[in-house]
Amino acid sequence: MMEPKLANTLIRRLNQIAPLENLRHVKRIRKRSLEGGKSQLSVILCLACEDDNQWNCVPENVQELVNSYQLSPFIAQVCKYAASSKEEWEEQCKLWPTSYHPLTYNIDGIMGFSEEDSQSIFSFMKFAVELAKSSKELLVNAAVVVDPSNKQITATACDQINSWLPPESKHGHLFPALEHIGYEYYEVEDVQSSSITSPAKRPMTNLTNVKNEDKQVLHAKDSCSISERPYLCTGYDIFLVWEPCTMCAMALVHQRIRRIFYAFPNPKAGALGSVHRLQGEKSLNHHYVVFRILLPGELPTTGDTVAEIADKDVGADTLQCPLTN
Amino acid sequence: MASHSTDTLALMELAIQQAKDALQFLEVPVGCVIVQDGKAIASGRNRTSETRNATRHAEMEAIDILLEQWQRDGLSELEIAEKFSQCSLYVTCEPCIMCAAALSILGIKEVYYGCANDKFGGCGSILSLHLQSSSEQPHGGAKGFTCTGGVMASEAVSLLRSFYEQGNPNAPKPHRPLARQATD
Repeated sequence: MMEPKLANTLIRRLNQIAPLENLRHVKRIRKRSLEGGKSQLSVILCLACEDDNQWNCVPENVQELVNSYQLSPFIAQVCKYAASSKEEWEEQCKLWPTSYHPLTYNIDGIMGFSEEDSQSIFSFMKFAVELAKSSKELLVNAAVVVDPSNKQITATACDQINSWLPPESKHGHLFPALEHIGYEYYEVEDVQSSSITSPAKRPMTNLTNVKNEDKQVLHAKDSCSISERPYLCTGYDIFLVWEPCTMCAMALVHQRIRRIFYAFPNPKAGALGSVHRLQGEKSLNHHYVVFRILLPGELPTTGDTVAEIADKDVGADTLQCPLTN
Repeated sequence: MASHSTDTLALMELAIQQAKDALQFLEVPVGCVIVQDGKAIASGRNRTSETRNATRHAEMEAIDILLEQWQRDGLSELEIAEKFSQCSLYVTCEPCIMCAAALSILGIKEVYYGCANDKFGGCGSILSLHLQSSSEQPHGGAKGFTCTGGVMASEAVSLLRSFYEQGNPNAPKPHRPLARQATD
């Protein structure tokens, strides 16, 4: 407890000598109204020890402050973690005031997935894997674009990197140079088709189909109000078997995709953590959230559904999401 | 500007013409030409609004013209790679990360650009995809290319400025007016 005019000086000093690491949501000072319009200020000096004698770990220079300002130390409890909802925050403040910063963005999954969402995410990823397997090529990427609001697939496609080449020049490298252009084709065509269609299940397995469907859809769009369709791929999710390369990852930024789920990292060319990490580039005008889905075959020791936030800065979230059947 | 040869300036002028064309169609005014042996063999301009596809940048348009043509001519993968390794790109604005990655995968020889792209640039501004060493090819076959910026940059910038003054009719409504409504 202290004089209000001392508050500023004391807090500055305390933040220097006893900063509250990992408790940044906890307010250093508490103001309580007393009877007669007066108020009482309390300040957090330092963390108490967890052993029996809780006063043992008061640093010497904090003790000096206590002495020179004639403070009366007491032990108080504070909340270890920042509140994730307004209700939680109100509860926390009964103990000791904390700060609460509601998420300024609203992206499902950042705070974990419901069982239902996990199941649908996993089934879309399995669909993408099956799509890749159905291709005659080796190591082909497959994409499934989903409108999560109604869990409908809006477009699917596979790499078409070798489709125009004579058979003898096809080879099974992961992403050899020119093949990417086909990779680009699939993504660009795919993403475009989803950006101009109203949600409808349209199973497509090759580029020719995608293109044909596109044309039909272009006709169809006249009959459907433009305002019903999202701007580009706003709000859509994409499921990819492989982590996309820099070109495709940036294409997905341009298309404003909301969430990317991929199964396998691409250590040679991946741009969502392997070689580059576009979701963390602050200057870009759009940031999607990236999740890696660990398929059952490569599950770590924990078998339960877990969503773990690996990196908390906004727009740069890489979430590990091992999903089980 | 004096340091750029008249050939360079003449080719960039063609790219500027493409950008002006884009502006006329209410597209973000970026244009380019792809040059082989000093001759422009393909040109492109932004078509993102028309196609409703945010990846249809000028570079992609020009690249696709060449790919389609060379595929029609029956060129093999190797022959096409050889062709691109003899090509230069002249573009009014620094290629974005997507386009720079595509150019690197294709193995283009060199890129001349006008103004820098400090939000999306993949040739030095945000990423430096042109600096990949070609000998090691660490990034799945992506190659480096030489890059020269600042060619007729002021012309490129003034085109962009005139676009942003008129606004993008296809962009979603900004959020700020909503905040103003709330306080009304």
